[in-house]
Amino acid sequence: MYQLAILKDTTAIHPANFGIPPEQAIIAELNKKYANRVLHDLGLCICVFDLTEVGEGKVRYGDGCLWYKVIFRLVVFRPFISEVIVAKVKSSDEDSIRLSLGFFDDVYVPATYLPQPSAFDPNERAHFWLPDSELTKSQDLLDTPTAERMYIDSGEILRVRVEGDEFYDDEPGPPKALEGVQVEREARRAPYSIICSIAEQGLGPIAWWKGEPVTEGDTMIEADNEEG
Amino acid sequence: MEVLNPRSALLSNYEVLSLLRELESDHINRTRIALRIKKEEEATGGSSTIIPGAKHPSMVEISENVRTIQVEAIQYLSASHQPTSMQTPEGIARLTKALAQYDLTKAEKLQIVNLAPTQPVELYVIIEELEDRLGQSMDDILELVKSSLSEPVPQPQRFDSLKANGVEIEDTFPDADADADGDVDMEEQFDDTGEGAGIEGDLDVEED
Repeated sequence: MYQLAILKDTTAIHPANFGIPPEQAIIAELNKKYANRVLHDLGLCICVFDLTEVGEGKVRYGDGCLWYKVIFRLVVFRPFISEVIVAKVKSSDEDSIRLSLGFFDDVYVPATYLPQPSAFDPNERAHFWLPDSELTKSQDLLDTPTAERMYIDSGEILRVRVEGDEFYDDEPGPPKALEGVQVEREARRAPYSIICSIAEQGLGPIAWWKGEPVTEGDTMIEADNEEG
Repeated sequence: MEVLNPRSALLSNYEVLSLLRELESDHINRTRIALRIKKEEEATGGSSTIIPGAKHPSMVEISENVRTIQVEAIQYLSASHQPTSMQTPEGIARLTKALAQYDLTKAEKLQIVNLAPTQPVELYVIIEELEDRLGQSMDDILELVKSSLSEPVPQPQRFDSLKANGVEIEDTFPDADADADGDVDMEEQFDDTGEGAGIEGDLDVEED
């Protein structure tokens, strides 16, 4: 889930912070810049791990700051493809289930990555899985008795496999027209989103897989199929 | 800014959690010291060298985004569905050493440490083609994982860290509070911090 990235940057220490040991001041300054921010194609930055190399502080013309060239290691959240992680269901809609990790909310399980056959129940506002059912159409699935359905309710803890991630650069482009001509902006997209799957044995709500009889080999998988 | 190496190493959840906890206790200690300095100066002379509303010159300013991600990530990593509360550095080291004898990839080993699978289903998810590659040693791995986990001691620990968080959030802007409320509130606040930070200190010893 987490990894270390090595970055190089130039950071300015304000004179008000000259009373602090430079190392601490630099780390605080870097944290202020990077923590809780998404770097394109890198991931979500958590905090500075350590400083690898710090140049000499230099004063430039124009301000009283000390400018340091720094090479540092940063803790970054970026689960790799096919990694299994645990997340909580935040909300569901027809197309996908949105998951949350607490510090990161843009994790989605699209409907195609749900165990089949499954359907979205608009009354419960949740997806459900119907194990061992021959039905495929969501219409038919919605006619089944509720007791047989395995719902994925919000707040449930899911074990998911990361299938892919996507970065989106939300930089506003150059202003296209003069003032007054307001261009309709599309809804903000998350700068970093993760696509996950639960269409596999062992994935999905943790409760589904708890307390399975501990058998081994192929019988295990069959047992899973029957019991869900 | 320049990215020299986007992935120089992978970190386990436990490592990240202990790093964040360390930062947090650091931060609590600093806040406590800052408040003490302030109180002492007020007690001795009355003419404080600190400009109201400004930070103390020897204090590191912790910005809000850092606190947010710290608190939220700690919450996620120490949640009850995570095995981190049962893990110890020694246990993890023992586990990774023991796993070396099996033909596992780095990513698979990392996930075994992060998720601490105790049931076969969980192991099936983590390791591709489990049966072909490992056959009967699957049970051994599960046994290794089980033996690497210590008894959960999360209850007091989690309660304390939550409490510490509470104190934390209150004290993020101590100066602003002091300005608005005057000296009486200041003193109360100081007592709170002392309590929370003391417990955090105990916590530190446990972790070590």
